[in-house]
Amino acid sequence: MNYFFNKNGPLISTYFIIAIVFWLIFLIIIPQLYMLDLSFRPNLPPLLRGGSDDVHTLVHYKHFIFGSESSDDTYNYVDIGVFFNTIFTAVLVTIINLCFCYPIAFYMAKMANPNTSRLLIVSLIIPFWINELLRSFALRILFAGEGVINNILVGSGLIDSGINFIAMDIALYTGLTYAYILLMIFPLYNALESLDTNQLEAAKDLGSSTFRTHWRIVIPHAKAGIASGCTMVFMLTAGALATPVVLSSPNTYWFTQLIYQWFNMNDNWSRGSAYSILLLSVSVVFVLLMMRVFKVKIGEIIR
Amino acid sequence: MRSQYVLNFLLGLYIFIFFSYLFGPLIIMSITAFNSAEFPSITPWECFSWRWFNEGKIAYDGQHLAGLATDWRLRDGLIKSLMIGIGVVILSVPIGMAASIVLTQVHSRLRTIFYSISIMPVLFPGVIIGISTVVLWDRIATIGGEGFVADLGRNGIFLTILGQTCFISTYCFLIFVARLQRFDQTQEEAALDLGASQTQVFFKILIPYLMPAIASSAVIAFLASFENYNTTVFSILSDQTLTTVIASKVRLGISPAISALALVIIILTVTAAIIYEFLRRREDRRKKEKQDQLIYEETKDSRLKIESKKKFRMPKSIYVILFTLILSFFLFNQLIKKGLYGSECVIAAETEKKSKFSDQLKLLQQNADSLDDKSLEGGELGGNKDYGDIFGDSNLFKDFGGFDTKEDD
Repeated sequence: MNYFFNKNGPLISTYFIIAIVFWLIFLIIIPQLYMLDLSFRPNLPPLLRGGSDDVHTLVHYKHFIFGSESSDDTYNYVDIGVFFNTIFTAVLVTIINLCFCYPIAFYMAKMANPNTSRLLIVSLIIPFWINELLRSFALRILFAGEGVINNILVGSGLIDSGINFIAMDIALYTGLTYAYILLMIFPLYNALESLDTNQLEAAKDLGSSTFRTHWRIVIPHAKAGIASGCTMVFMLTAGALATPVVLSSPNTYWFTQLIYQWFNMNDNWSRGSAYSILLLSVSVVFVLLMMRVFKVKIGEIIR
Repeated sequence: MRSQYVLNFLLGLYIFIFFSYLFGPLIIMSITAFNSAEFPSITPWECFSWRWFNEGKIAYDGQHLAGLATDWRLRDGLIKSLMIGIGVVILSVPIGMAASIVLTQVHSRLRTIFYSISIMPVLFPGVIIGISTVVLWDRIATIGGEGFVADLGRNGIFLTILGQTCFISTYCFLIFVARLQRFDQTQEEAALDLGASQTQVFFKILIPYLMPAIASSAVIAFLASFENYNTTVFSILSDQTLTTVIASKVRLGISPAISALALVIIILTVTAAIIYEFLRRREDRRKKEKQDQLIYEETKDSRLKIESKKKFRMPKSIYVILFTLILSFFLFNQLIKKGLYGSECVIAAETEKKSKFSDQLKLLQQNADSLDDKSLEGGELGGNKDYGDIFGDSNLFKDFGGFDTKEDD
C-alpha cells in the first residue's frame, strides 16, 4: 500500500482509490449482492421491511418451479417453458450467427485486399451504431401483416393471403439474429487476422482440402475468437429486451419480458430479482462452459 | 481452374446476400419515411412527402400522428438522453482510466481477481444491471428517510447514469488497457529521475500519452449510453429517454415518424463514419509522406522524392457520389412527372381516403336506417308510436326475418 502511494503520489492515489472503490464495490458488487438477498425475501410493502416478517424464504424460486398455489398444475409450465425456450433460442441464434459470420470473417481477414476489408469493416460498423430498437423496427416494417414482404408476395401472386410472420415468431428469430451479428464477426475477424497466411499455403501445398484446412488449422487458431463471439452473442440474445418488445408475438414471451412484468407491472420486486438471478446464473454457466470447451481464459473472451 | 471461378462467384454472391441482409431492412425503412401513408410501407405508395420530418398529420379518423419536429416527447427524451450520456462520460472515462492504470501496478493473483471483476459487467445482462441498481437505491432511499438521499435514490436520471456507468466503465477500461500495453514505462522513470513529482509525471506524461484513448473511450461511452435500452428501461423509473420513448411508440403502433427518426440517425452515423475514415486515411498518408521525407533526407535518393509528389488523382468514391446524385435526380423527376410529389398529391390522397371513410360511414348509416325502417314497416308492433319500445321488446328481433319481410308485403 505504501508502495502504491509512493509510486503515484498522494493526489493521484486518492483519485485512483476513490474511482476504483466506487466502481467495483458500489456499482458492481453491492447491487448484485443486494439483489441476490432481495430474491430470497418475501414481497413486502416498504413499511414492513426489516420487520419480523422479513425473513429469508425460497418462495420466489418455488413459484418459478411449482407455480402459484392457486393453480392446479404440478409445475409452473408457463415460466419454465419461457425460460428454456429463451435459452434454446439463444443457443440456436448463436450457432446460426457463427455459421453466417465465419465465411465473411475469413474473407475479410485472409482473402480480401486490405482496402476492401477496411471498407467492409466500416460498413459493418454503421448498422451496429443504429439503435437496436430501430433495427427491430425496420424488420417489423418488413414482416408486419401488411408489411413489405407480404405485400410483395401477395402482389406477385405467390400467396393468396398474407403470412403472419410475427405470430409464427419468424420475425423474432430473424430480429435476434440480425441484432447481434456484428458481435460475432469482429472477434472472429480479429482472431483470423492473426493467422499466418503461410500456414494456409503450406496446408494447400501439402494437398489438404479446403474443408480439412479449415477444420485442422483455421478453426483451432480462431477458437478464442469463436468462444468470445459465441459468449457475447449468447449473453446479449438471452438478455435481450428491445428486440422481443418490438418483434415478439403477443403470446410469445422472452424471459426478460417476464422479469419486466414481475418488476414493473406486478410490482413484485423480489420475484423480479429472483428471476433475474436465474438469468444471471444461466449466463455464468454459459461462460464457464465456453471457457471449459474452448480452453480459454476469461480475459481472452472479452477484449 | 473452372471450379475456382465458381467458388469465387459463390463467395461474392454470399457476401452480397449478407450485406443486403444487413442493409436491406434499413434502406427500406428509410424509404418508408417519405411515404405519406399512415402505415410505414412501400408498395401502396401514396405520395412522396416530408411530412413525417415536419408536422406529421391528423389522420382522417381523427388520430393524431406527430411528426419528428413537433413531437415534444421525443424532444424531451432526447434532452434527457444527452444529459445521461454526458453524465456517463464524466463518470466512466476517469473510472476506466484509473482501473487500467492500477491494473499495470498490481501483480499475480490480485491482478487476475481485479481484472475478472472489472470485466464482469459486460457479461451481465443489461436488464439485471438496471434492476440491481434500482433495488439497491430504493433501499438506500428508504433508509435515508426524507430529504436529499431519498430524492437522489428515486431520481431516474441519476440511477440511469449509475447503472450505465457500471458496464460502460468496462468498455473504457478495455480501451485504456489496450493503449497502456504499448506504453514505455522508462519514460516515467526518466521523468522521475530528472526530478519530476509523481503528480507531474501523471499529468505531463501519462495523460498526454492516453489522450487518444480518452477521446475514443468518451465517444464510445456516449454512444453506448445513448443507444442503451435494456438497463435504462428499468433504471429510468418515471422519466423517459429517447430510447424508451421510441420503445413505447413502437409498442403502441408503428408510425412512419419512427422511420424518419431512424433515417436521421442513419445519416448522422454514415456521415460520422465517412469523416472518421477520411481523417484516418489522411493520417496514414501524412505518416507515409513523413517517412518518405525522412528516408529521402537520409539517403538523398531522388526516386522517393518524385514518388511522394504524386499528381492529384480523383478518388473513386466520387463516381459513387455522382451516380447517386444522378439517380436520385432522375427518380425525383419521375415522381414529379407522375404527380406523386407535392401538396396536391397529398390532398388528393387525403380526400380519396376521407371519401372512402365517409362512404363506409354512410354505408353503415344506411344499413342501420334500412334496418330500422324495415323493422318498423314489417314488425308486428307497427307504427311509429312504439318506436321508443323497440329495444325494450325482447321478441322484436326474434321474429324479425331479415329483409324478406319487404317482399312478403
